[in-house]
Amino acid sequence: MDKNELLTKLAECVEFGKVNKAAPYPPTMKGQDGADELTKQALEIGIKPVDILNDALIFAMDKVGEKFTQKKIFVPQMLISAKAMNVAMEHLKPFFQSGEVKRKGKFIIGTVSGDLHDIGKNLVAMIVEGAGWEVIDLGVDVDAAKFIVAINENPDAVVGLSALLTTTMPNMQKIAAEIKSQFPDVKLVIGGAPVNDEFRDEIGADGYSPDPQSAVAYLNALVA
Amino acid sequence: MNTTSHIADLFKNKYSLLSFDVAQISISREKILRGLGMQLHDADEYLLDLIEQSVSVAKEMLDAKGGYIVTDEFSINIDSHTIEIQGMMFDTHKQVTLLLKKSECLIIFACTIGDEIEKESKRQMALGNALEGYIFDLIGSEFAECVAEQIHNEIETKVAKKDLKVSNRYSPGYCNWPVSDQHKLFSVLDTANCGIKLTHSSLMMPVKSVSGLLGIGKDLRRVKYKCDICTDKNCIMRKK
Repeated sequence: MDKNELLTKLAECVEFGKVNKAAPYPPTMKGQDGADELTKQALEIGIKPVDILNDALIFAMDKVGEKFTQKKIFVPQMLISAKAMNVAMEHLKPFFQSGEVKRKGKFIIGTVSGDLHDIGKNLVAMIVEGAGWEVIDLGVDVDAAKFIVAINENPDAVVGLSALLTTTMPNMQKIAAEIKSQFPDVKLVIGGAPVNDEFRDEIGADGYSPDPQSAVAYLNALVA
Repeated sequence: MNTTSHIADLFKNKYSLLSFDVAQISISREKILRGLGMQLHDADEYLLDLIEQSVSVAKEMLDAKGGYIVTDEFSINIDSHTIEIQGMMFDTHKQVTLLLKKSECLIIFACTIGDEIEKESKRQMALGNALEGYIFDLIGSEFAECVAEQIHNEIETKVAKKDLKVSNRYSPGYCNWPVSDQHKLFSVLDTANCGIKLTHSSLMMPVKSVSGLLGIGKDLRRVKYKCDICTDKNCIMRKK
């Protein structure tokens, strides 16, 4: 396979969730090399890591995010695609560490205190990571102090707050206020079932993302 | 016991602790699929097999316990949208307050399925198996709801002997009832808490636990949960 064929094939593996040769999913790609083997092969034949990242992995995850937003695929396909991407990213880790490949920026994300719901937050984290950002996932039930520690350690990061319960929206408001009082320049984006753009305005956040793809669009616009 | 006499006859003790037969606890794959944002016709064989296998593994990990108390020491204030139970004021908000206003007694309950399924979910996530981890998480939530449903059914059957009915059950964190009221709810539950602990932010540990209250009375109704009473229009569990 030449460079373009290999990158196209790798992108397909990520888009359709073919993790490695042994993986049974998707049945139509049974027995074929997956993201694991193809990323290794791409590096072995000298394809630049940055091209693997941009032309295969980010390209594929962008398609996955779009299909999810258009409801052409569902949570399981997205999670399997993200797994294939993560396996490929493992091979690129040394190049991120050496600085040869750079990410677009850092994104701190967490579900606010009092709320344990994490699937929406996880999906956003996966798609944002797939779009070339470094994601610092603080988990669920995260209070203002934990966000602030993370921002202190990563002052250039964009911060994402997630909530599913209407009853934890006041916690999101408190956390947003605390972050903005200490870091007025930090960009804050919110998401989750009960929130909307009006609530974003009310709590002084900078962005509202109803789905993972719009979070990526918001973040990418910041570094465009 | 200070409970209204005709209801009191039905409950021998103020506190009831229950254990469950695992064979009686079952969940449908449709519910798990709904949690994945899908319907049955959207799912392929791979996913259906994965769900089936995971349910069977999770069933072996169940450690279901439940407990409840029954009380008539309460007052419902329609104007302030609050319910006072044994001297504790609950900020139940309009919806829950109105739906329970005809209660003659209240049941405060808690139940859990233990923490093994939650641990398996985390283990799968740590291995990079996000789908498997999420499916275990959904199964755990459904099992916990199934145990709560069994408690609800048991109480419904018991009170039906006196021509009484039960309401739906309501939990802090939903229908605008602040999750912070969990601390008061568990203080009322006392020894019927099934060993569930609360975090500072009012979350239950083990996570796969359900707590809440329901009413008993002759003019109450238990109706199928309807998504249109909920304000979360983007909820992934919302029925289409």
